[in-house]
Amino acid sequence: MMKKPLIIISIISLFLLTACGQKIPDIGDAGTNNITDDTAISGDTVSISESAYGDNPSQNSSKDGFKSIYFAFDNYGISSSMQSVISHNVNNASKSSSKIKLEGNCDEFGTDEYNYALGLKRAKAVKDSMALEGVDVGRTVIVSFGESNPVCSSPTDSCYEKNRRVDLYLIK
Amino acid sequence: MRILLLMLLSLNLFAIDARLKIETDVEHRSKISLVDGSDNANNKFFNLLLSDFKISGHFIADGVHHRGDISSNFISTEKSKEYVLKYALSDSSGSKLNIRLFKTSNGKEIFKKSYAIPRVSKTPFLAHRAVSDINNILKYSSISWINRYVIFARYTMPKRSEIVLADYTFSYQKSIISGGLSLFPKWADAKQQSFYYTSYADEIPSLNKLNIYTGSKSKIASSEGMIVCSDVKRDGSKLLVTMAPNAQSDIYEISSWGGSKKRVTSFGDIDVNGKYANSESDIVFVSNRMGYANIFKKSLNQSTISQVVYRGRNNNSVDAHGNKVVYSSRESHSSFGQNTFNIYLTSLNSSTTRPLTTTGSNLSPHFSNDGSIVQYIKHRGQNSSIGYINLNSKQSLLFPVNGKKIQSIDW
Repeated sequence: MMKKPLIIISIISLFLLTACGQKIPDIGDAGTNNITDDTAISGDTVSISESAYGDNPSQNSSKDGFKSIYFAFDNYGISSSMQSVISHNVNNASKSSSKIKLEGNCDEFGTDEYNYALGLKRAKAVKDSMALEGVDVGRTVIVSFGESNPVCSSPTDSCYEKNRRVDLYLIK
Repeated sequence: MRILLLMLLSLNLFAIDARLKIETDVEHRSKISLVDGSDNANNKFFNLLLSDFKISGHFIADGVHHRGDISSNFISTEKSKEYVLKYALSDSSGSKLNIRLFKTSNGKEIFKKSYAIPRVSKTPFLAHRAVSDINNILKYSSISWINRYVIFARYTMPKRSEIVLADYTFSYQKSIISGGLSLFPKWADAKQQSFYYTSYADEIPSLNKLNIYTGSKSKIASSEGMIVCSDVKRDGSKLLVTMAPNAQSDIYEISSWGGSKKRVTSFGDIDVNGKYANSESDIVFVSNRMGYANIFKKSLNQSTISQVVYRGRNNNSVDAHGNKVVYSSRESHSSFGQNTFNIYLTSLNSSTTRPLTTTGSNLSPHFSNDGSIVQYIKHRGQNSSIGYINLNSKQSLLFPVNGKKIQSIDW
């Protein structure tokens, strides 16, 4: 009694295995008379120069009396050790009426949008801290540069720390 | 008892079926031999053809660089293969490629074609086009993605980058934008005539669009903080953009001319990397709404948000094709050394997840336009390579792009 269903299942399975198999395409003799044709792949493409905003890129740290704020790995909270630097920057901001640019930066780990968002969070954290100490937020402009603006590139912890920062300067 | 036994036997048979299918898929790739009939043998071009055949997943190409007369029908030494491709490349006035495909079982020519291009630097595209045509003539599923341009941004120095056009192997490269800080290039249309990119030429970042043939450039939008085009609808009419007009990165859907703007997410922290999913009615995106970067899904017209990925503690970039999702996941937490990032494939319809890479720093996964291939960036120090994984055949390729770190890529 057991043999009959086993035979049926075996036959069905064999059929399924055969049916599922992907055959090598057989095109027979079709195409023997293909004609030769020339194919040009797209036309010439342009090359353009993009202007660069701001100063020489080697000046990639704070200036105009401001000091950079540094952050822990994968973090945008302002540490207690950086509070005195925030106060210094607030005091420095009061000496001028110009707009202040805050640039958020990250270390080299990650090149994606998330890294740029992290740089933005760092810049916003500095902006909010300065606002708490009286700086008019209408004077600030924040931009994230992600990992595009390192101050050093050696594979050391001290170097990575220098890159996790917010730079400040006056917009003149 | 009989029914139970019957079910067990059935399960066992289907288990055998699955195992066999993997083996037979390998067997069903066409074996092909290449015979170089060029006046001067060109190893670089031969290797390009080999790469194309390999990544297609449809061929097993003989790695021996045979030489022979393209005009002759003699193919006796390659009879162990199913097909023989005879080709001749010349670059006397522009670049010209002649190919003849023979079926070894009967020795008949089954395909013949000539390709020409004025610029010799674009010779790699001749190889890609020829292999794509051979693939089509043998009625395999299309591999037309190998003919497409890849566009990528790479850093040149602090606050400076260039945007470069390339073929998928990076054998051809041409700088399209240089001089400033231009990032996140994204093709604007299926024909690859224009692309969007983030420009830092002004006080705040802007999203520009450039036609690569005419050079016409337009500003689509700008935003304090950041602005990035993450994805473009298949018909090119709308795009998903990460913007931060209130110093808060959120995802917006804007029209291709920048006229209409719809805020898609409004979380108080980080939402980035929006990608159209399913039939472009949903998006997947990266958010830290659970305290760490992870992948979520949202309908464009409803507020409900659902978690897509339930593993990893830092899943920082994502792409989608239909219901397929690829994402990169950071698998170490080192503040002073190279972190490990791997690429995973999952689905919006099931919880099945499959690793696509296992070592190194693998980031920014992208699907090909047909969803069959995943492209990604592999970083090693200040150098980058571009990897490709064929999801069907499991074939993979890695092309080094030495000297400069790649920021982002699209194809």
